[in-house]
Amino acid sequence: MTLRAVTLLPEPVCVSPDTSLWDALRLMLDKRVNHLPVCDGGNWVGLVDINDILGELLPVSARGDHGLKDLRFVGDGVPLMATHFKDLQDKPVRSVELCDLPTLDEDTPLLEAALLLHRHVRPLPVLTADGRLKGMLSRRTLLAHLISKAGN
Amino acid sequence: MTHAASGALFGLSPLLVSLTIFVLTYAVIVTEKINRSVVALLGAGLMIFAGVLNQAEAFHGIDLNTISLLTGMMVIVAITQKSGVFQYVAVKAAKVVKADPWGLLVMLSVVTAVFSALLDNVTTVLLIAPVTLLITDALRISPYPYLFSVIFASNIGGTATLIGDPPNIMIGSAAKLTFNDFLFNLAPVAALVMALTMIPIYLIWGRKLSASAEDRALVMAFNERESITDARLLKQALFVIALVIAGFVLAHSLGQEPGTIAMFGAALLLLLRVYDQQAEEQSHLIHRTFGEVEWITIFFFVGLFVVVAGIEKAGALEFMAHKIVEWTGGDFTVTAYVILWVSAVLSAVVDNIPFVATMIPVIQSMGSTFTPQQIDTLWWSLALGACLGGNGTLVGASANLVVAGFAERAGQPIRFLPFMLMAFPLMLGSIVISSVYLWLRYL
Repeated sequence: MTLRAVTLLPEPVCVSPDTSLWDALRLMLDKRVNHLPVCDGGNWVGLVDINDILGELLPVSARGDHGLKDLRFVGDGVPLMATHFKDLQDKPVRSVELCDLPTLDEDTPLLEAALLLHRHVRPLPVLTADGRLKGMLSRRTLLAHLISKAGN
Repeated sequence: MTHAASGALFGLSPLLVSLTIFVLTYAVIVTEKINRSVVALLGAGLMIFAGVLNQAEAFHGIDLNTISLLTGMMVIVAITQKSGVFQYVAVKAAKVVKADPWGLLVMLSVVTAVFSALLDNVTTVLLIAPVTLLITDALRISPYPYLFSVIFASNIGGTATLIGDPPNIMIGSAAKLTFNDFLFNLAPVAALVMALTMIPIYLIWGRKLSASAEDRALVMAFNERESITDARLLKQALFVIALVIAGFVLAHSLGQEPGTIAMFGAALLLLLRVYDQQAEEQSHLIHRTFGEVEWITIFFFVGLFVVVAGIEKAGALEFMAHKIVEWTGGDFTVTAYVILWVSAVLSAVVDNIPFVATMIPVIQSMGSTFTPQQIDTLWWSLALGACLGGNGTLVGASANLVVAGFAERAGQPIRFLPFMLMAFPLMLGSIVISSVYLWLRYL
């Protein structure tokens, strides 16, 4: 069985690479989601994760390898985050490293889709033949589909 | 040639064969296409297969005192850095000057220089650069002048002691110069260079730096005590480091070599870390600690020592020494200055480790021309040139590239050419200071 049989999430909410991180964050909070697909004129670009936005609030010296191991000594640190928080309005979605995810299409077998979802721990895009985003496949969607099949 | 090797390949002269391998090895190292440790080990193997050296002679060429000193110190540092002591000192230093931007720059430079004098430079900047970025971030000022000064301070500080920089470790080991010899002869000029380098840095950046009172209050609210993540580890590490440094100072009078002292210190610190743990936890912790030793550097040294032993045995280095003496007309002052300036310029563009490894036997063969005191002065010229030269360009020392990596991540990349336009003249300035120092003290 392939993904053709699965009903995808209705109308994925896309943001453009030029959307500010601030707006992307507001959208995520409104929609109660942790990630948003990024599309450029309907074409799949990548996925922006709420963790990337949280990372932007941290001092650069604590991100990545060899950085500061903990920030307890900074104390409160809220003013430090507040400065970075304001910067979110000027930073476009394209400035963070978008998740490099495998793409699916209607002919992807369910088992393969399940494996990829399990490995990447994020919803994966399902594209049409010409690379346009058709919808997002989440672990919930797939599991809901499987459980309904098992029930029959 | 006095040492004609019998089994050289195809009856070719060992001098020609060994020089070819040497030049090829160094040329590939310079391209940086293949990891330097692999290239050096391949070159070492070729020296043996080509019959220039046999295995016993190759092993004899490997200076195990240098290798043990480096490895031992790397183990000690790998354990100590987990205690958070470096972060503590850097934050404390910032608060001592009330987070004043210029005071902060001076303090971070001094802290970097002192740590670099006692530890490996790369480790020092790996520990100082993140704290520097955090503080400049909080003060909302550009980290560039700070990172630039950290680079300079690490190379200048490294010049000051026997254990500060790999070239000094090699020179000290080969020339039987003690920790105290380095301290008395190089630390004063390193301190002078550091102080005088701050003048142009002040004129270029320092006088324009400013931070708001609010942002400074933010830094003053940092609690450096929270950096100490493991107080027991800190005590153990400081105890062993104090013991090791005391060992270095007394080494000569005890008739001991620094390699033994560093290795023993490393073993002692490991013992203190694991003695109350189960066998399995012990091997896990020790395995991880040994994993943090920079094996690339260690194997690079091993390979280079063999390659240099090859051309030395074939007589190339003695020949080079004669040429240098001939060229300088046997004039001691000119020889000392040639070594200083050539070392500085070359070390700015290529790795100073292979250069120093080659120059050591060259200077040793000058023993027939100059007195032992004069030879000692040549060692100081070599050390000053090779260590300070590292400041000339971004690729002059590994620590420079580590700092550049942090700067890139902070969105303030240090580019090759703009860095060189500032750094190369400053480096030449430090060599002028060294020249005057050599003149006043030794020539």
